[in-house]
Amino acid sequence: MPTLTYLQAISSALRDELRADPRVLLMGEDIGVFGGAFKVTDGFVDEFGTDRVMDTPLAESGIIGTAIGAAVVGMRPVCEMQFSDFISCGFDQLVNVAGKMHYRQGLAVPITVRLPSGGGFSGGPFHSQNPEAWFMHSPGIKVVAPSTASDAKGLLHAAIHDPNPVCYMEHKHLYRRVKGEVPSGVFETPFTARVAQPGSDLVVIAYGAMVSVAMEAVSDGLDGASVEVLDLRSLVPLDEEAILDSVERCSKVVIIDEANSTCAAGAQVAALIAEKGFESLDGPVVRVATPDVPIPFSPPLEAAVLPGVERVREACRELLAY
Amino acid sequence: MSSSPTDVLVDVTMPQMGVSVAEGTVVAWRVEVGDSIEADATIAEISTDKIDTEVPSPASGVVTEILVPVESTVSVGTVMARIAATGASQPQSLDGEPAGQTRTETPIPSLPRAGNGHRRYSPVVQRIAAEHGVDLEQVSGTGRGGRVRKQDVLAFMESAPVEEPPLHIESPYRPDPVAPVVDGGLSRMRRQIGQHMKRSLEVTATCTTWIEVDMSRVEAARTRVGVTGLSFVARACIDALREHPALNAWLDGETYTRLSDVNLGIAVSLGDDGLIVPVVQRAHELSVEGLAARIRDVARRARARELTPDDVQGGTFTITNPGQYGSIMATPIINLPQVAILDFEAVIKRAVVVTDADGNDSIAIRPMTILGLSWDHRALDGALAAQFLATVKRLLESVS
Repeated sequence: MPTLTYLQAISSALRDELRADPRVLLMGEDIGVFGGAFKVTDGFVDEFGTDRVMDTPLAESGIIGTAIGAAVVGMRPVCEMQFSDFISCGFDQLVNVAGKMHYRQGLAVPITVRLPSGGGFSGGPFHSQNPEAWFMHSPGIKVVAPSTASDAKGLLHAAIHDPNPVCYMEHKHLYRRVKGEVPSGVFETPFTARVAQPGSDLVVIAYGAMVSVAMEAVSDGLDGASVEVLDLRSLVPLDEEAILDSVERCSKVVIIDEANSTCAAGAQVAALIAEKGFESLDGPVVRVATPDVPIPFSPPLEAAVLPGVERVREACRELLAY
Repeated sequence: MSSSPTDVLVDVTMPQMGVSVAEGTVVAWRVEVGDSIEADATIAEISTDKIDTEVPSPASGVVTEILVPVESTVSVGTVMARIAATGASQPQSLDGEPAGQTRTETPIPSLPRAGNGHRRYSPVVQRIAAEHGVDLEQVSGTGRGGRVRKQDVLAFMESAPVEEPPLHIESPYRPDPVAPVVDGGLSRMRRQIGQHMKRSLEVTATCTTWIEVDMSRVEAARTRVGVTGLSFVARACIDALREHPALNAWLDGETYTRLSDVNLGIAVSLGDDGLIVPVVQRAHELSVEGLAARIRDVARRARARELTPDDVQGGTFTITNPGQYGSIMATPIINLPQVAILDFEAVIKRAVVVTDADGNDSIAIRPMTILGLSWDHRALDGALAAQFLATVKRLLESVS
C-alpha cells in the first residue's frame, strides 16, 4: 500500500475517477495548465485534455451552475473552489438549484464541490474559513470532511459516486502535513464516523484538521485518563449512532470546531447529545471552537483564535475533574 | 431565620373568590412562622360557603407572622399573614459554597448546592443508581466539590455487593386483616352536605311523586343532535316550570318568593369526595344544545375543583341524574330554599301497551324512564306536582 500525503490522496482519487469513468470531468479556476492553486491537478490536463480538466472564468456561480447542467444530463462533474471562502459567490446555484433540484423536479445532481478550507497558515479572513455549517443547514446537500490521507481518497470516491450534491471539505493545513497508507484504485469510505482512538472516560469529537489537534492533545495520556477520539468524517449525514454510542460509553464530551462557534457542526452534535444522550451524561457538554470573529492574518492572533492543542487539553482536564 | 433590614414585608390577604363572596375561613396553614416559602407555592387552604381552595404565596421569603388562626372566618382583604420577601440583594442560600474559586475560560457550570447538604446528581449517575438500586447518599464523591461522578457510583457498586434479590417476587402469605381505623371525622364537604340534607328533611314537608315517560323521541333526537338525554329533560323541566311557575320558587321560613328566571342546579358527583350542585344561570334562555354545553362545562369545572362561589348560588330548581348505574327510582331531598327537585334515572327498554290512532292496543318495546319529583308540601300540593310531571312527560314524548 503506497504512502501518500493528504493532497496526493486527493489527486489520486481524481485521477482514478477520470481514468475509470468517462462521465467524470473537473472544472475550476487555474486547475488546467497551471495545475491548480495547490497543485492538486498538476499534470492532469496533459493526460485528460482540456475538455475534461476545464479552466473556467473567475465565476463560482458559473462553475457550479454549469456543473449542475452537466450533472442533470448524466455527467459527474467535480468543481474546485480555489478557496472554500469563494463558495459564497456560488451559493445560490449550490443551495437553491443543486440542493433542491431532486425535491422540485426529481432530477439527480451528482456534483462534487471540492472546498479547500481552514486556517493555520496566516491566510487571513478570506482564505481561512470553514464554511461547512452553511451547507449543513441547507437540505439536499451532503457534507464530508476527511482527516486522514486514506479517508481523503475514499470519501472523494464516495462523493463522486453519490447521486446528490456533495461538499467535500479538504483542509489545506493537512495537504502536506498528513501522510498515510492509502489503498490503490477506486474504493469508497462510507459517510460514517470513525473511532480514531478508543477510550472510556471522555470522548473528544472532531473532524477535519481538528482530529489531529485532538489526537495530539490526548497523546500525553491526560493523567492516565482513557480518552476516546471520534472523527465524524461526515457532517451530513451525521452519524448519530456512533456519536451516541461514544457518549454512552464515556459520559463526558468535548466537541471541537475549527469553524466559528455559533451554529457550527459541533453545535449540532451538542444539540443531538442533549436531546438523545442526556441520560448518559456525567457532566456538561463542553465545546472548544473558534470564537465568532474573522480569522486574523497575524500569526499570534490566528493561533489565539483557532482551537489549539493546549486549549483542548485544558478543556479535557477540566471536564475529567468535574 | 430572621428577616434582615433589607427585606420587604408582603401581606398575605384573604382573596376575593367571586363577586358575591365577602368572607372566607382558614382551613389550614401549610407553613409556620419562620418557614421559607417560594412565590406561588400554597401558603394556606381556605373555604368559602361551598368552595375550598388554596392561597398562593404572593412572594418568596420567610413567613414572619400568621395573624388568622385555623377555623377563623375573616372578611375579604383581611391580612392573614406576612412574608419577609427575599430581595435581589440577598442571594439564595449558598452558605456552604467556598469563596474565591477560580475558573478557567472553559465554561463549565458548577452545580448549585443547597445549604442543607442536599446533593444533586448528573443524569448518568441517577440512571445507574436507579437501575442498580444504589442509595446515592452512601456514595462518596471525588469530583469537583465532592460531586459524585459516574466512576464513583461504579466503584461503590464494585465495593458494596448488591443485595441478593428474593427468590420469589410475591409470597402467597397474606397478613391478618387489619382492624378498621376510625378516621377521626368526616371531610369538610361531607359535613356540609350532611348539614344541608338534614336541615332540609327537618324543615320541609317532603313528598315524592313519580311518572313514567316514553323516551323514544328523546332517544332518537339525542342521537341526532349529539347531546345527552339530561339536556332534553332539563329543557322540558324549564318549559314545564314556565307553565307551573309555583315550582320555580324559594320558601325561606314563611317567606315564599316566586322567581322569574330559571337558574337550574345540576347535581354533580365528585366521586368519594361528595357532591356539588353547580347552577346553570338563566337556563331558560338556552336551547337543548346550549344547555348541554353549559352542563358539560359546569360538570367539568366541578370535577376540576374550578367552580367559584357564584357558580353554586342562586339555583331555583334542581335536577339530579344518577341513572348511569341502572337505578330507576329515588326520593331526592329538596335543595333548600328551593321547593322541588327532579330525579332522572336510567332509561330502560320495557314492554309497554301502546294505543294506535284507531284505538287498537298492542305491546311494544319502548325506552322508558321514571321521573321522580320531590316537592315541599308547605309550598304546594300534590295535584300541582302531578300536573308539572304530566307537562314534562308531554314535552318529552313530543320532542321532535
